Amino acid sequence: MRFFKKNFSAWMLIIPALICIYYVIIRPQITGITWSFYNMQGYKVTTFAGLDNYKRILADNQFYRTLFNTIQYVIWSLVVGFLLPIMIAVMLNEAVHMRNTFKFLLYFPSVLPGVAITLLWYMVYSPDASGLLNIVLSKFGFASYTWLQDENWTILYIILSMTWASAGATALYYFASLQGVSRELYEAATMDGAGFFKRMWHITLPHMSGIILLMFVKQIIGVFSIMEQPMQMTDGGPNGASLTLGLLSYRYGFVNGRPQLAMAVGVVMFVILMVMTCFYYALDKKISDN
Amino acid sequence: MKKSFNKGILSDSDMKKPSGKLIYGIIIALLVVMSIIVVVPVLWLLLAGFKDVQELYEIPAKFFPKKIELAKLWRVWNEMKFYRFYINTFIMAGGAVAATVVVDGLAGYTLSRLRPAGSRIIMTLLFALMLMPGTMRTVPLYMTFKSFSIFKISLLDSFIPIWIMAAADIFSIIMFKNFFDGISDSLVEAATIDGAGNMKIFFKIIVPLSVPIIMTVAIFSFNGQMGQFFWPYLLIGDQSKTVLGVQLYKMKGGNYTQDYHMLAILFSIVPQVVVFLVFQRFIIGGVNVGGVKG
Repeated sequence: MRFFKKNFSAWMLIIPALICIYYVIIRPQITGITWSFYNMQGYKVTTFAGLDNYKRILADNQFYRTLFNTIQYVIWSLVVGFLLPIMIAVMLNEAVHMRNTFKFLLYFPSVLPGVAITLLWYMVYSPDASGLLNIVLSKFGFASYTWLQDENWTILYIILSMTWASAGATALYYFASLQGVSRELYEAATMDGAGFFKRMWHITLPHMSGIILLMFVKQIIGVFSIMEQPMQMTDGGPNGASLTLGLLSYRYGFVNGRPQLAMAVGVVMFVILMVMTCFYYALDKKISDN
Repeated sequence: MKKSFNKGILSDSDMKKPSGKLIYGIIIALLVVMSIIVVVPVLWLLLAGFKDVQELYEIPAKFFPKKIELAKLWRVWNEMKFYRFYINTFIMAGGAVAATVVVDGLAGYTLSRLRPAGSRIIMTLLFALMLMPGTMRTVPLYMTFKSFSIFKISLLDSFIPIWIMAAADIFSIIMFKNFFDGISDSLVEAATIDGAGNMKIFFKIIVPLSVPIIMTVAIFSFNGQMGQFFWPYLLIGDQSKTVLGVQLYKMKGGNYTQDYHMLAILFSIVPQVVVFLVFQRFIIGGVNVGGVKG
């Protein structure tokens, strides 16, 4: 009895948060997995379906194309947007002149709301003469280009707009970690005759290796579940060229009225992401053990 | 005053050599180029809204409008009744920020300082949940809000689901907990010896000390909530409750000319830009706090 009395008031303070977390995270996590094995009528769960839902999504050719698209998003985001923030952070740390101005300007896009960014870039990429990039092209005497309508490169263009929006904010994480590099290391290396790039390669980058790995995995996981940007910019088009698994799941759930398939796609994504997360922890442990 | 270069890899002695000067010059040049890439679309956004319809379809199109007529801002604002979206978004974001700060602040406080039985299990659970991908949650969560199981009422067409989701923000709980962990025990002990009760300690010592963390969480939450799109889009069909993010998305499919799109985007980014300008140091510093501790 005294045990309850002692803890009761403290429990009361944390219970609102736990109830919300139960309803928003725990319950949908469990029911989402469970119901992906059930038949549904609209949003009503009816009978057990076994693996039928999974067979149905995997039998659809669109699924494989979409999976391939999603992987393309991840690869492009690593090519375009992974090294850039690291470079920005190192350069910001070198800059003595206008350091705060650069910090302010490069961080600025990430305070803007996501829809405003995608809509702004939708306009930048506008295929008619009024789009910003086509204005630039016409200044140099080139003809207008279709940008997002060009199936081969749509994914890259969406990734470029996302990189524009987030590189500065990511750079500040690296920048914070750079503040911990000891000056003596640089001085000693300079004595030994190491130039700028040698010092960067042997001192600066190893210092950041932990956070670099963390950001690498965070970026893969984040981009793999991307849905809003293609939804707002291209709606998965043209001809499904920019459709992602996240958007496919959304369509099953809220456009085509087959929520059981939406959850099945979600579970497939979940499994892939969990494998990657476990891989990250194994890698992280290996690095910190050394 | 001569500025010292001893901040990064380059040192003062490097800067005396031509190779050091060259590298520094390239770095500054690259930063300038990147700043321009960031600024130009935003500048274009500011300017393109002032073009009239003829200018928009002129070939070749120009970057600058012929004239900047500020009255157009007011005209379009009224024409689209933009204040409605503002009011809705502020109600949604205000409630969400309050929910995050109060519910998650108390949870963080409890886990950090009161530590009732079970706190350890809860912390482990929270960390596990935070890292867990939630790709299958959308449909079941929508179903929960559609027919809320305790009362069997529908929470669709209201902001309550948004507020509940805002309160279930594990990252904020951990931010709060980390902050409260840093408050020294001696302050609390001294107050206890002076005979202050739990309530008094909380309101007289803890709350005043937590202003920075409350501000940081509130600012980040506000910025995130003002830009909410997906859940309001999914849950709120009621036209009179449309928020800014959803309105922008709806306009994309509608029959608007580019200048209207640009002005709508401009209107919708004002709150975040103002908050950023005012709390610049808090935001850029807060990123670091979150990065190191979270």
